[in-house]
Amino acid sequence: MAFIKLNDLEVEVEDGTNVVEAARLHGIEVPHYCYHPGLSRPANCRMCLVEPHVFFPPAGAIVPDRQLATGCTTVLRTAPPNRKLDGKYDFIVYTDSPRVKKAREDILEFLLVHHPLDCPVCDQAGECDLQDFTYRHGHDKSRYLEVKNVPPKKDLGPDVLLYSTRCIVCTRCIRFCQEVSGSNELGLIHRGSHDEIDIPRSHDGMPLQLLDNKLAGNVVDICPVGALISKDFLFKSRPWFMKQEKSVCAGCSVGCNITVEYKEDGVYRLKPRFHEEINQHWMCDDGRLGYGYVNSDDRLQLPMKRVDGEFQPTHWADALTQITEKLSEADAEKVVVIGSAQGTNEDNYVLQQFAHEVLKTEHLGLFGALPGEEHTFPQFTIEADKNPNTAGARKMLSNGTPVLEGEALWKKVSEADIVYLVSGAPERSLEAEEKAVLESVDFLIVQDVLPSEVTALADVVLPGTTFAEKDGTFTNSKGWVQRIRKTVDAPGEARIDWEIIQQLARQLGGEMNYHFAGEISLAISENVSGYAEATHQNIGDSGVKLAE
Amino acid sequence: MSEELIQIQNTFRFTEENQREFDALIGHYPVKEAAMLPTLHLAQKQAGYVSPAVMTYVAALLEVPLMKVKDVVTFYPMFFEEPVGEYVIRVCHTLPCALRDCKGVLAHLKAKLGTDVASETDLGKGTTPDGKFTLMKVECLASCDVAPVIMVNDDLYKNLTPEKVDEILDNL
Repeated sequence: MAFIKLNDLEVEVEDGTNVVEAARLHGIEVPHYCYHPGLSRPANCRMCLVEPHVFFPPAGAIVPDRQLATGCTTVLRTAPPNRKLDGKYDFIVYTDSPRVKKAREDILEFLLVHHPLDCPVCDQAGECDLQDFTYRHGHDKSRYLEVKNVPPKKDLGPDVLLYSTRCIVCTRCIRFCQEVSGSNELGLIHRGSHDEIDIPRSHDGMPLQLLDNKLAGNVVDICPVGALISKDFLFKSRPWFMKQEKSVCAGCSVGCNITVEYKEDGVYRLKPRFHEEINQHWMCDDGRLGYGYVNSDDRLQLPMKRVDGEFQPTHWADALTQITEKLSEADAEKVVVIGSAQGTNEDNYVLQQFAHEVLKTEHLGLFGALPGEEHTFPQFTIEADKNPNTAGARKMLSNGTPVLEGEALWKKVSEADIVYLVSGAPERSLEAEEKAVLESVDFLIVQDVLPSEVTALADVVLPGTTFAEKDGTFTNSKGWVQRIRKTVDAPGEARIDWEIIQQLARQLGGEMNYHFAGEISLAISENVSGYAEATHQNIGDSGVKLAE
Repeated sequence: MSEELIQIQNTFRFTEENQREFDALIGHYPVKEAAMLPTLHLAQKQAGYVSPAVMTYVAALLEVPLMKVKDVVTFYPMFFEEPVGEYVIRVCHTLPCALRDCKGVLAHLKAKLGTDVASETDLGKGTTPDGKFTLMKVECLASCDVAPVIMVNDDLYKNLTPEKVDEILDNL
């Protein structure tokens, strides 16, 4: 640990921390643009200048250093005993001296020379570092009278637009493409004050290569100004009108930590949230742009039953009564219950309890989205399993007996009379054998979020909920149990999956009395091996890693 | 790399002679990327300008991302991204040349060639319709003692007057 004098504070920081991070840890803001904790540090924006104090032998005193230093590249380390300042400090640095304040003002004035100040029409306004730092550290007026550069607006790729005028050339996006995605699409063209970010183009502007990799959306997040803009979010909402909730991406088994930004009428965007061991600062575009189905107009809103081969909407009481009648008459050996790798641990635990305690069946299966492709980048991996909770669902469902998957599952389904299938995988298509087997089932109950090939075969369809509409936990492929949280309300009369199952259990005489997901997590922690620590209270924002 | 890009790239190749020259110069550098400038000069000499084909070819040759090549090409004013005349005339307009009447030289050239002065983003503006000359203003050519000066391709001409300019153009 290094003992630092930071302004008037005396603080201890880990060796290797830079001044920007050390200050942030102690509630002091050092404004910065080019520095990003997940990228290399070129120190080109000069915004994070701080004033180190050094020992000056001729005067025999500690004085401000001749030059200001960039906080991002000034790394704090324990000094040898004979080099301590004042006999005890490893480093003395001021982030609020008059010299630093003047430097910040001057740097900001330069950064704003060619900036159009079009905040009223800029998507970034409200979450813009240039806006915030200018407000807190800059001049209130410009002295620049000359003509501003007006570089063109550019289309960089499928989801990213570049408003070059707003760019302050911090090069975060370029370094991201070099270091994290390794795809090297972005670079600087021209020279000096005419510098522009661009993709390779011919002289007449025809793109030779697009910013088209599965991590491209991250450059929009790390852009400290409104230069890089997501087409998906363009002109959709002001950031301050949206509410935010910490959650986990449901796109694949990596389990990237995200922030869901939403309003009453739906989810507006997903942003990655830092988790040191899972996703660092990033998330992939499949996850980022994959939330669309939550807001879809096609969402299942009412229970439906098949009457003379046609689906008819019905009410919950009717649908559930029909199911209980069928289930109470059925032979337990001929009932198969299939949980979902898209569902939470809580959903699957309640389903397992329902199957074992109420239906007395041992036939539990696991269903989910079809696998995709694995993509590997220098600092990121997108996994092939497109379900957020395969590991968790498998564990929850296999209380005592192994879970049926793949061939074994479909074999068992082909022998069954009644199948209760919880899907939740949006737009799940069925392979030929799967379809043939499900068609042969006498009475198929499907609980899902969107109409799909699976619901098309059902006798009763129950509208469930997506990751954005319920509380619960997902277990990722590395054994991290993480929380998802309710944001928007479920559409129409759709209900939370475990509530539907609990209702069915009660109608069949089972004793189940959960009131909220956290209560189920307590039951899980008591009854599922390895999950003792995984209560909602312990999991918090950063998750709990299961013992290997 | 996309199919289109490969097609573009395939439209340019070093001639055998240039390939030999490239093989010789690449050995002078610790990493291939470091040979970017001489390679681009060589390619520009052959193709006349740095077309997308040249850029993609050089990127593949030096095993660097295409954007790195584009970056370098747009940074340096001596690389042209569009076709230029057979003779590129660079007129120095920095202070010593300006004091020694480079404006007169430039005006004379403009009148004589019947073309405007090229800008960095629009070289076509300074190129004669027959594709023979491109006229452009440049910063200091490092010959202030003999101002005003112009460069025609790789040759420097000193102490110019409109009459001398006529002579130079006649001898080209």
